[in-house]
Amino acid sequence: MAHSTASSSAPAHLQHHFVDSDQQFESSKMGMWIFLVTEILFFGGLFAAYIVYRAWYPDLYVQASTQLDTFWGAVNTAVLIGSSLTVAMAIRSAQLNQIKGLIINLYITIGLAFTFMVIKYFEYVHKFEKGIFPGQYYTYEGIAHEKANIFFSIYYMMTGLHGLHVIIGIGLMIWLLVKAKKGAFSAEYYTPVEITGLYWHLVDVIWIFLFPLLYLID
Amino acid sequence: MSGHHISSAKFLWGIGFALFVLTFITVAVTWMHIPAPWNVVVAIGLAAIKATIVAAFFMNLYWDSKYNLMLLVMSFVFFFLMIGITLLDTLFRNDPVPAF
Repeated sequence: MAHSTASSSAPAHLQHHFVDSDQQFESSKMGMWIFLVTEILFFGGLFAAYIVYRAWYPDLYVQASTQLDTFWGAVNTAVLIGSSLTVAMAIRSAQLNQIKGLIINLYITIGLAFTFMVIKYFEYVHKFEKGIFPGQYYTYEGIAHEKANIFFSIYYMMTGLHGLHVIIGIGLMIWLLVKAKKGAFSAEYYTPVEITGLYWHLVDVIWIFLFPLLYLID
Repeated sequence: MSGHHISSAKFLWGIGFALFVLTFITVAVTWMHIPAPWNVVVAIGLAAIKATIVAAFFMNLYWDSKYNLMLLVMSFVFFFLMIGITLLDTLFRNDPVPAF
């Protein structure tokens, strides 16, 4: 660790408590992975609720999931996978110092994230019009199961928390876009792009599980 | 360091294409009406394959420090522990139907 001249030659993004850029990058990334672990366990609680109730009321899930439109669920899966691809391309652009490519890929990602939320909005509104609300507010008569509201409580909690993550992701992408336009990122420093990318891919992975578990039961 | 793997654009598009194909297969297998519980096994299996592809090649765990992979694996270990212990209760209740 012969970095006696580090202070004179250190890049602007390097914080003084790191030996070099690589160590700073690896530390940030590891911190993000630890956050993602807490996210997995956060959603894990809801997956646990899903599994417990599915074991108790298997017929309920088969009946209630007929209210979910597989086509739009599949479209949203494709939209999120597409946005994961553009995030991966954005990181690649940053790594190659192609800032224009980074900005374009961030714009496409934000567009796809909005597309996801618009489709989700119409799915929710369609259910609200039928009286499919969570818990005690449930008034829909079309499912012959006394616990139908339970399925939709779980549905709204899981997709709602996921949707909140997509909205936060949009905010983070806009933040990256503003910084990228100011010239903050380069091949030497793109840590925020990398770790926001990790977050976005996790949001994609959670939807990859939610889609078959909620929409494709029958 | 291991953290700066740069994938080619062709490779990333290939991964994206594989995920689109697997999504189509996930939907297509439901048209075959596989009897329970195998429909759930197939659906979760396909989702797990897709998630593994995303984690390995989009989240770069394939080239990354093994420590980050361990973090992800441990999160799943503790998730399954939570599910397992919960089901040991809920699956074996004398009165399985709760008030809520």
